[in-house]
Amino acid sequence: MGNLFKSELYKLKKDRSFLLLTILLVIVSICYPLLIVFDEGAGLIKISDFYQSTVLNGNNYVIKLAPCILAGFFISNEYSFGTMKNIGASGNSRFRIYFAKLMVFSIGAIIISLILPIVMTGASALYSGFHDMPELGYFVKTIGLTILYAASFSSLMALLATILTESGKAIAFMLLFFLLFDGILYGLSTLIPIFELVLKYSIFDLLLKIVNVDTFMNGGMNKMIIVPIITYGIFGLLGSLLFIKKEIK
Amino acid sequence: MSDYVLKVNNLSKKFKNQVALNKVNLSIKKGAIYGFIGQNGAGKSTLIRIVSGLADKTSGTVELFGYNNGQELIKARKRMGTIIEGPALYPHMTAAENLEAHRLLKGIPGKECVEKTLALVGLQDTGKKKAKNFSLGMKQRLGIAITLLGDPEFLILDEPINGLDPMGVVEIRELLKRLNQEYGITILISSHILSELYLLATHYGIIHKGNLLEQLTLDELNAKCKQYLHIKVDNTEKAATIIETRLKTNDFEVMPNGVIKLFDSIDESGKVSSILVNENLVIEELMPMGQDLESYFMKRIGGIHHG
Repeated sequence: MGNLFKSELYKLKKDRSFLLLTILLVIVSICYPLLIVFDEGAGLIKISDFYQSTVLNGNNYVIKLAPCILAGFFISNEYSFGTMKNIGASGNSRFRIYFAKLMVFSIGAIIISLILPIVMTGASALYSGFHDMPELGYFVKTIGLTILYAASFSSLMALLATILTESGKAIAFMLLFFLLFDGILYGLSTLIPIFELVLKYSIFDLLLKIVNVDTFMNGGMNKMIIVPIITYGIFGLLGSLLFIKKEIK
Repeated sequence: MSDYVLKVNNLSKKFKNQVALNKVNLSIKKGAIYGFIGQNGAGKSTLIRIVSGLADKTSGTVELFGYNNGQELIKARKRMGTIIEGPALYPHMTAAENLEAHRLLKGIPGKECVEKTLALVGLQDTGKKKAKNFSLGMKQRLGIAITLLGDPEFLILDEPINGLDPMGVVEIRELLKRLNQEYGITILISSHILSELYLLATHYGIIHKGNLLEQLTLDELNAKCKQYLHIKVDNTEKAATIIETRLKTNDFEVMPNGVIKLFDSIDESGKVSSILVNENLVIEELMPMGQDLESYFMKRIGGIHHG
């Protein structure tokens, strides 16, 4: 597992889509607050409000969409290039191969998903002179949940990328899927009650609630933590089962 | 320890209603260069993919280095290197980076093996050039370099000389011979270029429509490539009819260039000659010759042979 993990990590570092997404998000994180400062003046920005309304809400899209592009290049391209044949014939079990890939992909997704909360918040804090910063406890909780939800979304993306195996198709399908799925689920939940329950306990709905983490009681917080962990496990296992049965072409 | 690197017993593979492999029994001895011959769709790649763990079998067993079950078989694959249907490379990486990714995958300590392997295949000077900008020959050599990482005992090379220019073909042939003779690596190689396989392989397996028709050594092949009379006359059609009627045989082959290969009456060239001359045919060439691998293969699978 260690060898597979190191090899995947090496490939992640060399992945151009990962580098490009990281650089783009860092540029946006540095430039966007600067535009607001120019527009409204540094003294008027309350970082705690900015963090909730702009950073966390904006980051919901990053968590759901940006890793789709990485999944297309980092996972599906292994099939398009034929390099999955080398990995499949390397003397490692399919289960290990899949989980090494998933774990490293999750690391990539987490890194991408943390850029806005850390870099954009840091940059805006610097520009405003650390005016009205969010509470440390709140900040740490939202960062922790961002990591959990980025990982759980990545397990679903890894499964889809393994099914689709062609980077272009995989990216297009996943972008559409992650943009529309919670809307569809919401629509279904108004018609069929069971879907309301599914939606309530889905990472799609809970992701939107990260911003309200300071209002949760114990039960609510447990749900926020347990659901993404279970989701990661379920989709990780489903993906590995699919990969074990898959003929690598 | 088993003398065989690979043993395949009663291996079958079915895709819905199509039989890709039908109870194939194949064995490759340690130190052999095994030429795997078959048409497109004969089942070569399917067998190679099953041995490499990329596809499941329907029935039968695969024994690699004496191991034939679950985890042991998977682990045994660490001792082999494969190229299946062309070299699989990361196009945005350099040759050294491609090897580094595979070095880490195989858990080989020390980075020095990367440079050493690149030098072995003649790619040590490619520098920062990305694999996507390599010529086909360079890609094939890089593919072979990847298989060589970790000092494998067994190489499986599916069409490694496809698309190479004549120089590239010679280079790969020499490299594979060197790997076999100097490093004792057993090689399973499939190729459509049978003349190349004849120059390289020590053993052969002929597969056709999912059935392994025959396994034979180079010596056995040479013995089996029986002699024939090479006949060229001014009227090929007439000569073919005369051979059929006067010599009462249809064990001959008419080549596209008008040459007739007569597998009967090899020791009766005088008789053949006089019959043709008596029928007013002008003999341009008449001599005993041997069959090459291509002709033998075509005959074995029932290709264009009349017999």
